[in-house]
Amino acid sequence: MLKYGSFLVQVSRRASHLARQQYDVIVVGGGHAGTEAAAAAARVGAETLLVTQKIHTIGALSCNPSLGGVGKGQLVKEVDALDGLCGRAGDWAGIHFSILNRRKGPAVWGPRAQLDRQLYREFIQSELLSTPRLTVLEGSVEELLVTEPDPEEPGHHRVTGICLANGSQPISASSVVLTTGTFLSGSLFMGQTSSPGGRIGDAPSSAGLSQTLRERLGLRIGRLRTGTPPRIVKDSVDLSLAELFPSDSTPTPFSFLNTHTRCKPEDQLPCHLTHTTPGVERVVMESLHLNCHIQEDAKGPRYCPSIESRVLRFPGRQHQVWLEPEGLTSDLLYPQGLSMTMPPDVQLRLIREIPAMHRAEIHTPGYGVQYDFVCPTQLSPALQVKNTQGLFLAGQINGTTGYEEAAAQGLWAGVNAARWALSLPAVMLSRTESYIGVLIDDLVSRGVTEPYRMFTSRAEFRTSLRPDNADLRLTLKGFEEVGCVSSLRHQEAVRVRDSLQDALEALQTLTVSTPTWRKKLPNIHISEAKNTIVTGMNMLQYNDVSFEMLASAYPECLSPYMEFSQRLKIEAVYRPHCDLQKKEIERIQKEEKMSLPQDIDYFSLPVSLSQEVREILDRVRPSTLGAATRLQGITPAAIVHLLNYVRHTEQKRRRKQSNPQNFTNSLTASL
Amino acid sequence: MLSSIYRGVWRAAAAHTLRTSRGPPPCRFLSTCDGPPVGLADAETIFALSSGHGRCGVAVIRASGPASATALKCMAGLTCGLPAPRTALLRSITDPQTREVLDRGLVLWFPAPHSFTGEDSVEFHIHGGSAVITAVLQALGSVPGMRPAEAGEFTRRAFQAGKLGLTEVEGLGDLIHAETEAQRRQALRQMSGELGRLYQDWSHRLKRCLAHVEAFIDFSEDELIEDGVLNQVDRSVCDLQAEMERHLKDERRGERLRSGVQVVIAGATNAGKSSLLNTLCQRPAAIVSPIAGTTRDVVETALDIGGFPVLLSDTAGLRESPDLVEREGVRRARERVEQADLTLVVVDCAHLPTEAQQAAAFLQGHLRSVLPTQEQPETDRCLLVLNKTDLLPQEQRQKLARELGRVSGLPPVSLISCHTDEGLQDFLTVLHSSVKTLCGDPLSGAPTLTQARHRAHLQQCFTALAQYQRYRDIDLALAAEGVRLALTSLGRITGRVGAEEILDIIFKDFCIGK
Repeated sequence: MLKYGSFLVQVSRRASHLARQQYDVIVVGGGHAGTEAAAAAARVGAETLLVTQKIHTIGALSCNPSLGGVGKGQLVKEVDALDGLCGRAGDWAGIHFSILNRRKGPAVWGPRAQLDRQLYREFIQSELLSTPRLTVLEGSVEELLVTEPDPEEPGHHRVTGICLANGSQPISASSVVLTTGTFLSGSLFMGQTSSPGGRIGDAPSSAGLSQTLRERLGLRIGRLRTGTPPRIVKDSVDLSLAELFPSDSTPTPFSFLNTHTRCKPEDQLPCHLTHTTPGVERVVMESLHLNCHIQEDAKGPRYCPSIESRVLRFPGRQHQVWLEPEGLTSDLLYPQGLSMTMPPDVQLRLIREIPAMHRAEIHTPGYGVQYDFVCPTQLSPALQVKNTQGLFLAGQINGTTGYEEAAAQGLWAGVNAARWALSLPAVMLSRTESYIGVLIDDLVSRGVTEPYRMFTSRAEFRTSLRPDNADLRLTLKGFEEVGCVSSLRHQEAVRVRDSLQDALEALQTLTVSTPTWRKKLPNIHISEAKNTIVTGMNMLQYNDVSFEMLASAYPECLSPYMEFSQRLKIEAVYRPHCDLQKKEIERIQKEEKMSLPQDIDYFSLPVSLSQEVREILDRVRPSTLGAATRLQGITPAAIVHLLNYVRHTEQKRRRKQSNPQNFTNSLTASL
Repeated sequence: MLSSIYRGVWRAAAAHTLRTSRGPPPCRFLSTCDGPPVGLADAETIFALSSGHGRCGVAVIRASGPASATALKCMAGLTCGLPAPRTALLRSITDPQTREVLDRGLVLWFPAPHSFTGEDSVEFHIHGGSAVITAVLQALGSVPGMRPAEAGEFTRRAFQAGKLGLTEVEGLGDLIHAETEAQRRQALRQMSGELGRLYQDWSHRLKRCLAHVEAFIDFSEDELIEDGVLNQVDRSVCDLQAEMERHLKDERRGERLRSGVQVVIAGATNAGKSSLLNTLCQRPAAIVSPIAGTTRDVVETALDIGGFPVLLSDTAGLRESPDLVEREGVRRARERVEQADLTLVVVDCAHLPTEAQQAAAFLQGHLRSVLPTQEQPETDRCLLVLNKTDLLPQEQRQKLARELGRVSGLPPVSLISCHTDEGLQDFLTVLHSSVKTLCGDPLSGAPTLTQARHRAHLQQCFTALAQYQRYRDIDLALAAEGVRLALTSLGRITGRVGAEEILDIIFKDFCIGK
């Protein structure tokens, strides 16, 4: 607590430094998206201001006390590879680490940790405080300031800053990142009552912001719902009636920078698993009339449903309930899978239908939230609102769910907000190189119909996009092209890349005849015909051959690479599959490099396109040819015609400007 | 289904079109250099029937790519070496697997870069019968590294090698449109039959397999998804492999595909469609009566029009009907029009407005209601037949013919009377020339080509399923990749399957709570 107290003093001191009324980037919101956005913008080099309602809830885990998982773990690794916060925060605050899917192949491993809520918050807050160029301010944003539409480009606004609710002078900025989470016109639901707000215990955000987005900027807004379970008093639960789930014996850190986690292996806390009973189903059915959240038609997720919707959709089944620790010293448990919105007395009745909780007490009841989101097809792949220069959105405001999804978007929006403010060109991540790219491409080119969550099955190149190689995929690019990675991290990534290359080279050049291999590795059944030459690489592809075995057989050439033994094994097995995908990846990357101007009037375009195709293109306004090809209903002929037109107009423009640095060049260069 | 065909086609085309944005195509000069031209990354060798369909003495099958030489050697029995470049050689053409002699014909060898595509190419000039063509195409498909060409692929390779000029490339978009349309119609025809149902069933089962593996990967750590799910997938994959293997071995039996240019008669009820069919085939193949809605099912008849094979179908009149049987007839009629190479839209003259301008507008509206909604109304795939001219006064007939001929945007108009045979001769001339044009296009009405393409994709699908088996217990991510590849290959026949569709199945079959 002492640490926490002194920390608050520090924050307010910084906040009082707010002498200026002008920043490069303002980030609104201090959740997972907002903190990553603010930190990333500052890393890129922008003077950044983070505005949040309460400084002490910065970095709060509003729902489950865990990070990572299958698909989500990949996002954490990628955010970390781009020098984001959440991976290191997870290593600091984790109290139970496990790699999910351990037996299903390294491409789908899901690094995950249960977190101590307070440690996580503290880490994020102190990290933000020590970030140069970043100021944190407590306040409520009353309004977003935008210019009138530019008469040259009808319907195009530019963001100029924000106004705070306390009536002080407006603060101006070149970029604003909105990460309002569930607070945009949020309402809380419990039983038959509802009240405005985005999280229990926090003031609702101002209506001004929502109004500006809707009315001044004319953005299409949708509504989604989510929920959170009641928090249970730990001492009131009989954990002996639940199944024990210990953590991995050796915690694996999220961050590429960490070799171990703060929590010692033996200090980790276990999770417990229990199940719903027919009694739970009965309580749900009996209380439906008292449950207005369930009756609303805002779209909820199919994959994180409340216990009510699970019972309604799959009646007569047992559903899993995970009892997760909330922290090292917390006396609460989080019942994963029991998100519910019925009145508190019914919630109590319901949980007591589960044997392990037959005497349980509720600390805070569960509730539902409904909130506005901005249909994300109105964003560019830089997460900028297409019709408003300098306005970026990230997190639940874009229709996603989950900390990791929010963090990933926050980081990328922060990077691009900073680059916009510093007059640097926008940067994109391709779906062929990262889960972040998959996430953003799915959002901006397809939109959402329910809260969007990452799954590994969304990534068509998941054999290449593995958690183990996120640093090779992103850290180098993050340093060289994006500017959001520290040189320290970059140096480490370069070292890793070079060592891996050397090691693979060594494996490839280690050519040995089959009989010799048989002698060296007597326990391995080698299927190659007699007297052929087999490389170390080929040997490592055998299921039961490890790098350690090869290194002990040939220590002189392989032992220097022992620290990478696991990565090398994975590389050896996956490389042939990744090589097969390369051609397809290159094709998609080519198409993604061909940008389509955002101001094309598709209806008056003098090329042969059907009305239907024109309407689709006008509605979605794909930013690249790659995005256009993935749209339903776009024919190849339409693409060719479109491209011909764009090429001709670009040539004309180029002749006029006689400036060779333009888009056609980058197109042809990519061929 | 279309998007997958399309995708393959436009991909390279777009890239090629772009290439020209550097100015005049530099590759023109490349073709005169020795050595392989730049940009020939395609390692695959493609083949296709290059001559037109229909009655012909000689058919030309072309192959292009690195494996063409191998194909030539093993199919023309040239063990000692390749023939002199660009010189015709008479050889027996044999199946490389069975050694069975398929035909005796001319073979030509065009080493790179002196060929149409700039790559190593081979031509087989064989007899024009469909059995021979099918056999040779199938034999080519069995040579390693060979696969049937996608629409427009020869042209694309030719462009890549700098063998096409800028003006030819400008037309690439239209070319791709035409070719993909032809393939689309062809595929639609096959997909509506028994084969189509078989492929759809496989695709459906593969989707479920993939969804269940994906559910196991993405959710089993937190949810109640038992290992039993994977055992089910194992069984399904085994079954699918067995079925596909049987199907692939069963080459020449199976469904007989309707061959010939597909001409469909369509229009409102009682316009005289069945009378036109009977007139054209000179026998009462279809029942005609003054009662609207007499024809309810599709009536098919094979015809020979000026030497070209035509499959003529009469369809139910298009109207809203409360009658269930008639409604089904109308549905079938619309389906046929969608699959048609050529549609004869029959209109009762008596229903036309007397003013020519209005008549043209009426006809345009009518065409829109009969023809499938398309990117561009395909007037070149349609003929307008104004029937029952015997009911109009002579002068009005002449005026109508004169003025409608001047209206642009209308397909060719013929005024006929099935009753008196007036105008029939002129109509036959128009029909003949349309059919002739269509037959010049090797893609229309040539089921063997599509069949060969399907075979190649099925073979890939089959091979990919083996990857599932191989990795099932070692690495589920790689095993799933096998199912995914299998589904992608099959998707080139039945339609692309996106991640969302797989997720839909997952959420329908499992309660995912995390």
